[in-house]
Amino acid sequence: MQDVKKLQAPVTHETTESPSKAKGVVRHSMGDRLFSWGVIAFLVILMLMMIVPFINVLAVAFSAPLASMEPGIILWPREFSVEGFKTVWINLDLQRAFLNSVIVTSVGTVAHVTLCCIAAYVLIQKDLPGRSLMLLFILATMAIPGELIMIPLYIVNRDLGLLNTLWALIFSGMVSGFSILLLRNFFAGVPYDLAESAKIDGASDFHIFRTIYLPLSQAGIATIALFELVSRWNQFMPVILYINDSSKYTLQVALNALVTENLGTSGMSMVTPNVRMAGIVIAILPLVVIYPFMQRYFVQGITLGSVKE
Amino acid sequence: MTGRTLRQMRSHAWLYVMILPVIVYFSVFVYYPLVQGVLSSFQEFRLLGGGEWVGTQNYVDVWETSKFWQVVRNTLLIGGGTLIFGFLPPIIVALALNEVRLLVFKKLAQTTVYLPHLFSWVVIGGMWIYLLSPSGGLVNELLALLDVGPVRFLTNTNWARTMMIGLPIWKDMGYAAIIYLAAITSISPTLYEAARIDGASRFQQVYQITVPLLTGTMKVVFMLNILGLLRIFDQIFVMRNPVIQRGIDVIMTYVYDMGIQRYELGFASAISVLVLIATLGMTAIVWKITGFGRAD
Repeated sequence: MQDVKKLQAPVTHETTESPSKAKGVVRHSMGDRLFSWGVIAFLVILMLMMIVPFINVLAVAFSAPLASMEPGIILWPREFSVEGFKTVWINLDLQRAFLNSVIVTSVGTVAHVTLCCIAAYVLIQKDLPGRSLMLLFILATMAIPGELIMIPLYIVNRDLGLLNTLWALIFSGMVSGFSILLLRNFFAGVPYDLAESAKIDGASDFHIFRTIYLPLSQAGIATIALFELVSRWNQFMPVILYINDSSKYTLQVALNALVTENLGTSGMSMVTPNVRMAGIVIAILPLVVIYPFMQRYFVQGITLGSVKE
Repeated sequence: MTGRTLRQMRSHAWLYVMILPVIVYFSVFVYYPLVQGVLSSFQEFRLLGGGEWVGTQNYVDVWETSKFWQVVRNTLLIGGGTLIFGFLPPIIVALALNEVRLLVFKKLAQTTVYLPHLFSWVVIGGMWIYLLSPSGGLVNELLALLDVGPVRFLTNTNWARTMMIGLPIWKDMGYAAIIYLAAITSISPTLYEAARIDGASRFQQVYQITVPLLTGTMKVVFMLNILGLLRIFDQIFVMRNPVIQRGIDVIMTYVYDMGIQRYELGFASAISVLVLIATLGMTAIVWKITGFGRAD
């Protein structure tokens, strides 16, 4: 499903340049006005349903430990305090898991984008023998969901000695048929004549790739990179498969141990709600920070993607 | 092989070197495990050493295990529920967003509705475990104002299943809505102009122009969702607890428990192969019914 998300996401911003807001004087009947207000009311309620849970999390995270245990905190902290953040970051050592996540996310994203870009470049060469065979080999992987081969993947990682190393997590999903396909479409939008004339001038493939394709496909690459970044940060199943050693836990798994304590079984929790919610705030913060940048790149991505049409 | 092809291959030698890592990667981390998984499903493993061929014994074991049928039933209930009840909401959201004339508000609403999709199930699950808690959770606090509750959302099987259906709908609504919104904006404005000239109200325009033109997108979204149905994992893994586990465990959490926790590799592989076959079969059927393959 991660791949599906990548497929659809770049369309986000087409909607903001909607052509349907055709200018012109439209008469507003009573019914139409009621309809408009109904729509706005509906959306406001919907937005509240989406945002209030997050505000509640923030309010609890910034409450004092004992105050956070009592019911009644809704939109505002009770006895404002950053104690929860200190406890979860230092005492519960979420900083180590955070660092692991940063390593896996950054190395994994760079590797993913690099390998997929190179593969996409090779696959747009028109006169390369065996090209369609390689394309089939790569695209067919999209039909095999990673979850369904988790048992043999576990064994492969064990046999390669990757269990309990961050490498197992970096290798997981390091290349995807989907990203290659998308990048290939972006590269196909670069005028072929440019590469052709460079080739006649004696430029190497690597040189052409670096000086023509990469700069002209920046928006596409950024789009892939940002989506990979988000899915890497949220990566969960591979971590619980390959990592047992808690010093190698990534943020999601460390957080999982913290926030999903069983309601039915643990009456004696030493972890107060403010600490747990502070953990959640820390986990979502990096994504909230890059979210606005993602939107900007989507717009460019659409413009570039539409060139080939 | 002709001399010309060989010459071409030699002149492109670097290109083959460049793509080699990707070919090796897919061989090691996709194709080899796939073959290995199918082979394992016909083997019995001991803790040390390799497997021993046991024919279709693992499949027979799976068939005769009542827990397997229990998780199949849970998967169909939870996945099917999400598929059916989650179908309409994003369409309604997209239609509503499209009717907003104030661009700032539209953008804000779109961003807000999409927000939960950005976060992992650990974040969303952890948050809702807290919000749904019977002692002091926001939801029960609000219900208490109406003199209802407290409701034990995550320790009662029926409520837990309802939540497992409702939460993914809440989380992913904005994402599907964006797909629909993109489809709506590609509808030609002249259609609406013509309708306005004929005196159609805004509601009539939505109902008689937009909705019929969205059927293609509906098919695509439905197909994408149906393919994910059997693969639900994260949300259940994060939110389950011993009290409700029997009622919400799904196929993939069962594969994880049996394969990774209890090391019944053959048994777990057999289930994976069955799910793979079922997924491919479902894909073929849905492609045929919706004509998705042709349309694309």
